[in-house]
Amino acid sequence: MGGALEKTGGEMEKEAAKQEILNFLESKSGSKTKFYFNDFTKLFPDMKARDVKKALSELVQEEKMMYWSSGSTTLYGLKGSGKKEED
Amino acid sequence: MPKHETPLLDQLESGPWPSFVDDLKRQAESRHQKQNEIEYQIPVDVVDDLLGLLELSYKEGEVHWKHGGIVGVFGYGGGVIGRYCDQPKEFPGVAHFHTIRVNQPAAKYYKTDFLRQLCDLWDFRGSGLTNMHGSTGDIVLLGTRTEQLEEIFYELTHNMNNDLGGSGSNLRTPEACLGESRCQYACYDSQELCYQLTMEYQDELHRPAFPYKFKFKFDACPNGCVAAIARADLSFIGTWRDDIRIDQEAVAAYVGGELKPNAGAHAGKDWGPFDINKEVIDLCPTECMSMENGKLVINNRECTRCMHCINTMPRALRIGNDRGLSILCGAKAPILDGAQMSSLLVPFVKVEEPYDEIKEVIENIWDWWMEEGKNRERLGETMKRQGFQKLLEVTGIKAMPQHVQEPRHNPYIFWKEEEVPGGFDRDIKDYRLRHPK
Amino acid sequence: MAFISSGYNPDKPMENRISDIGPRHFSEFLPPVIKNNKGKWLWHEILEPGVLMHKAESGDEVYTVRVGSARLMGVETLREALDVADKHCDGYLRFTTRNNIEFMVDSKDKVQSLKDDLQSRKFPGGSYKFPVGGTGAGITNIVHTQGWVHCHTPATDASGTVKVVLDELFEEFQNMRMPAPLRISMACCLNMCGAVHCSDIAILGYHRKPPVIDHEEVDNLCEIPLAVASCPTAAIRPSKTTIKDSRTGEEKSVKTVAIKNERCMFCGNCYTMCPALPLTDAEGDGLVIMAGGKVSNRISNPEFSKVIVAFIPNETPRWPQLAKVMRQLVDAYVNNARKYERFGQWAERIGWERFFEITGLEFTHHLIDDFRDPAYYTWRQTTNFKF
Repeated sequence: MGGALEKTGGEMEKEAAKQEILNFLESKSGSKTKFYFNDFTKLFPDMKARDVKKALSELVQEEKMMYWSSGSTTLYGLKGSGKKEED
Repeated sequence: MPKHETPLLDQLESGPWPSFVDDLKRQAESRHQKQNEIEYQIPVDVVDDLLGLLELSYKEGEVHWKHGGIVGVFGYGGGVIGRYCDQPKEFPGVAHFHTIRVNQPAAKYYKTDFLRQLCDLWDFRGSGLTNMHGSTGDIVLLGTRTEQLEEIFYELTHNMNNDLGGSGSNLRTPEACLGESRCQYACYDSQELCYQLTMEYQDELHRPAFPYKFKFKFDACPNGCVAAIARADLSFIGTWRDDIRIDQEAVAAYVGGELKPNAGAHAGKDWGPFDINKEVIDLCPTECMSMENGKLVINNRECTRCMHCINTMPRALRIGNDRGLSILCGAKAPILDGAQMSSLLVPFVKVEEPYDEIKEVIENIWDWWMEEGKNRERLGETMKRQGFQKLLEVTGIKAMPQHVQEPRHNPYIFWKEEEVPGGFDRDIKDYRLRHPK
Repeated sequence: MAFISSGYNPDKPMENRISDIGPRHFSEFLPPVIKNNKGKWLWHEILEPGVLMHKAESGDEVYTVRVGSARLMGVETLREALDVADKHCDGYLRFTTRNNIEFMVDSKDKVQSLKDDLQSRKFPGGSYKFPVGGTGAGITNIVHTQGWVHCHTPATDASGTVKVVLDELFEEFQNMRMPAPLRISMACCLNMCGAVHCSDIAILGYHRKPPVIDHEEVDNLCEIPLAVASCPTAAIRPSKTTIKDSRTGEEKSVKTVAIKNERCMFCGNCYTMCPALPLTDAEGDGLVIMAGGKVSNRISNPEFSKVIVAFIPNETPRWPQLAKVMRQLVDAYVNNARKYERFGQWAERIGWERFFEITGLEFTHHLIDDFRDPAYYTWRQTTNFKF
């Protein structure tokens, strides 16, 4: 039972984190659209990096965010944002 | 008639080594021949246009590709490298030319039916050009269009039961030497450990959350056939800690010239008769071998297991029975501060399912590096910046002389307060009692 | 060319999605003789260049015929390799880390016909499709990167330079007359996707000019903060400039970047982030040769390669200067090193001053390290040198 409660608490925390990530991206969208993973962990100094990752992965699954890769490194941004030169 | 003239590339058809130009032309021709049988999903003349574009690079001495930004299929942050040609009008067949990385089976053994299925899929939905394999170890499928990426992934997972490999800030596709499958030097099952850790860390492989790339490589002995020590953030290198097994009759057979030294590796030149003193005993880096009364004696306690004697007399000497692996960490290519090789962290660990001890080291390192690593910083650079002591601290490993080539050259030891009796806080009044102003 | 669906539904990407399944388990692909004797091998012998025999405790033997291949391979040639495997090897084969293909049979009497079959297959231009060799104290296949075929930051072509070098050194691929194995690697820019920094000899593509800035496009194509952050030496900063619009001819102020050229190390990372910063240049681009590295722990510790030729131009299509230098290096090594000495061990024993004398390579100031702290450790802090 304790486990279930904890899980619910974790879920709530994750949902709040997801919203905070989206707010952060919206606030920056004028100047910058792609961010390193570390930029998000800085938003949540008390959260474990792996939990921040879970929130980001879900946002990608929900088609709210997307990855961008240089081939060697990967960045995150809002879906559909950023400059594209290709078609 | 070829679509583009390629007078420069044509000069790479001659000579004995397999000509990639002939290979590309063969592929180009086959697409034209089979276009009535196969409903090609990307332009029939993709390979013709690749030849044309490459000829232009040979003529000008400059590259014509741009980077793409595409990362993978839906939900994945790696596995695909986007490429666009900067001359799409002239070479429309390669306007999009993305790469797909397919996770290879450990040590790259195949049944032909699997590869035939892959060939058919890639012929149909891509250029038909491959690398068997890329530098990291993946099967590399070179050149398809964006709209085919999901289709290929769907067929790969549904029909072939195989996943994509890694790219970007992910765990990259791990790779192993062939190990126990066909090598008597294997100190652990490098393929099995590679497979098990690849499966354990699928999320890390597909969904990036690292400061930069991270590589695992598995060499089953110190000969290092997959170059783990030079290429991997975590290098798992097989070793043993008991005695080299000696067959004295076989030693005598080498000395007597009945057995070919080095398993025949030097047979192309007459190096004279085998001389065990000159070729084995005197070359031993620890001078731990000798001949006594016609028998080879090894002081195993002093041996560092460099493999030279075993490589030279494989029928007489065999690795020990108490086997495991060493974990070294932090190798990388030169950018930025210079190349690094992996440094020894765990001298010996047994390789036993479910590999908890090994996983604990991995996860402790990741927790630290994800927290402290700067963007685009490899583990080796974080180690350099924060110090080897920090690595020991986060992995809970005690310092030992095996960790260093030699002790430090400077006395600038940053003592921690708790290491010094009485701590750092002192009362100046107390000091002044002994040292008046 | 009608689009044919695999079954994937783009409107519902998660429907029937299979993910995180990893590779196939290797045991599905092991030939029976390998599977039966896994972990029970006793010893091996190289019977002749390219042919290995491994003996198991059970008494079983597996014979392996190793062949070279061009890493860039179309499925037509790959299918031909599969045909050979079906005909001779019960439908099994494997690839090595260095892009060789290995065909395995379970008895000696199957070796000759397999070998003859492989050696007989040639491309129209006369080159072997599957040359047998690459074992023991000789040269095996050169591992390499993509080059002009598929990368966006190469300073040279990988397939072409490798073809030229292996044509020049081909007899060493089919021989075993060297003092020790000689591992050659090729990477087409200093990012070294193929980690060539621990090779006996490394061929490395290198740019020598900083990126040229397309001021009109920087702010259109790129996010300036990302371009600035991509530079490993912090040579790029945001800037503004006035340009003439290429269509209207009007003067306008644009956001762009400025580059401190003297800090540029020519890595191309900025071009990856920003296509308005190209650095490919016919005169600037070419090759560096490095040597003396190794990864094996045998006799001495693993070692890094050192730069021994600062620049060779891209003389397409056959890079004659590259081929000549490689020949000089190999000949000097074969004629001078002692048995078991790797290339770098030989150079260190005779001293680098003697190395340049024997190989006939010119020593120039470019070969003295001046990059950050590690440089000092490569200068000579002793009076022990040779005249």
